[in-house]
Amino acid sequence: MEIKKTALAGTLESSDVQIMVSQGTNGLEFDLVSDVAKQFGDQIQATIEGVFADYDIQNAVIKVVDQGALDPVIKARAITVCQRALDQVDQPQWEVL
Amino acid sequence: MLELFAGGQAVTLDQVLTNREWRSAVQQQLEADFPDQVVVAVKLNIAGPIKNSPRIRQIFMAGWQVIKQAVVSDNAVIKKVHVDEQRITGPEAFLVLDGQLKKWKQELLRFEEDFALGRLFDCDVMADSAEGYQLSRRDLGLPPRRCLVCDGDAKVCAKKGRHPLTAVQASSNQLYRDYFVTDLTLPAWSRDFVVDAAVAACLQEVALAPKPGLVDPISAGAHHDMTVMTFVDSAVALRPYFEKAFELGQGFSQAEETDLLAALRPEGVKAEQAMYLATDGVNTHKGAIFTLGILIAAYGLATQDKRSTTLQEVLNFVRKISKNVLDDDLVNSNHDQQEETAGHYQYRTYQLTGVRGVVAAGLPALAQVGLPTFRDRPGTVTNRLLDTLMALAGAIQDSTLIKRANTPAIVQQMQGWVDEFFDFGGAETTAGQKYLTALNQTMIEQNLSIGGAADYLILTIFISRLSGLLS
Repeated sequence: MEIKKTALAGTLESSDVQIMVSQGTNGLEFDLVSDVAKQFGDQIQATIEGVFADYDIQNAVIKVVDQGALDPVIKARAITVCQRALDQVDQPQWEVL
Repeated sequence: MLELFAGGQAVTLDQVLTNREWRSAVQQQLEADFPDQVVVAVKLNIAGPIKNSPRIRQIFMAGWQVIKQAVVSDNAVIKKVHVDEQRITGPEAFLVLDGQLKKWKQELLRFEEDFALGRLFDCDVMADSAEGYQLSRRDLGLPPRRCLVCDGDAKVCAKKGRHPLTAVQASSNQLYRDYFVTDLTLPAWSRDFVVDAAVAACLQEVALAPKPGLVDPISAGAHHDMTVMTFVDSAVALRPYFEKAFELGQGFSQAEETDLLAALRPEGVKAEQAMYLATDGVNTHKGAIFTLGILIAAYGLATQDKRSTTLQEVLNFVRKISKNVLDDDLVNSNHDQQEETAGHYQYRTYQLTGVRGVVAAGLPALAQVGLPTFRDRPGTVTNRLLDTLMALAGAIQDSTLIKRANTPAIVQQMQGWVDEFFDFGGAETTAGQKYLTALNQTMIEQNLSIGGAADYLILTIFISRLSGLLS
């Protein structure tokens, strides 16, 4: 599957992860920022790669800012960002205070 | 289920993630609306599916009160306040203030470190003008947050799943118990905060309705010479006395705590005069002047070092301050027969020690009945306060009630009424509300009033406000 548009999911809130996906040509290119990158960088990347494989996305630039998210959170944010990048869902509109 | 989570509703991962997006959007909007100000976001870290419950809200409001007072004492200009206590994903609050980003981040980090429940809080400070999104602990050269269970790096423990959820929940529950149950923690507040709490306690007591036999905005109960307005006048007139009581406690440096009562007494006499002037001669708060004055002075004494204290420490001081009050006022008293008060009469006639005995014993019903009832009863603040009043009325020997009935046997009658009220389910139920209204009629007909319980309710509200149980 081809990335149709640049997409973002997640927030920079603590225990969350923000994933930004844009078009790429060179496989899955990761840029990971995390306080716990040393210990968990590979694990975070593997979780996201698994989701991208499910969506059959072979090429993408993936920027990840992790705030200590747990695995199910990373997975949920990765699913959302894939759906958005493939133009499968509308972007949410948040009502603000 | 652990008490902290009782009455809570489980959330899904999706709700939690959606809530983060909501929060992030709110914060961005606030930063855009207030580009020159600092935005503070306050929320709790409660692991597991239940993130809000009556007791979780108690934790939140206790901390929120401390944060608000930090803002007040800084004289910071406040642009916006928004509190959402009921969110299913946990209570949250936002503040927009003038000031330096770094300064407020440090202030709130200190709160997270120093406040007894601070480990359960997560405070973010951000500004549109600042580099990056938020200032993190790392940006300020601070270590990462510690795990609730083992004191390790919290993020690492969570990632590795080092502790079962039940262990993390048990740690949170223990923090709740240490603060609210085992003893009640009372932060060291400013004089103005304490005096506001005392005046508010008097006003909230009289505003509460329907109270059997007592004055409230709907009914004057079994009192013919006063209305709710009389109590408002009286409460406001007592402010200088409450200030004095706090200052006497804070400044007290003598060896014998009984000397504090000696210093407080003339102020109490002045306060009674101020009350009579304000009410055109009606006794509205004479009992409260005595009990609340001593309680405020004891709290002032317990927080001389500007560090938080506990209810038991304060009540220990109450006992020490009033150690000699029975001997001085009742046993060895040779007052004029014509000036005999209800307290003297009841001691002479029934050997009841009344309000003096209660104070000398350290206000036992406050810690044993008033505060636990208010903390644990379900429902709205008003209904929880009504339940608290009734529980107190059923637990004490109310000297006002005994005076009105002219017999101590009335105490059993009152206990029976209170039992019936709770059998109906208390103030949160329609039957309980009807019962209170009917009991008010009965007490008006029999000219009965529970003034002693009302005074205890004032003390309960006062301490609840100091602990954050009520705000």
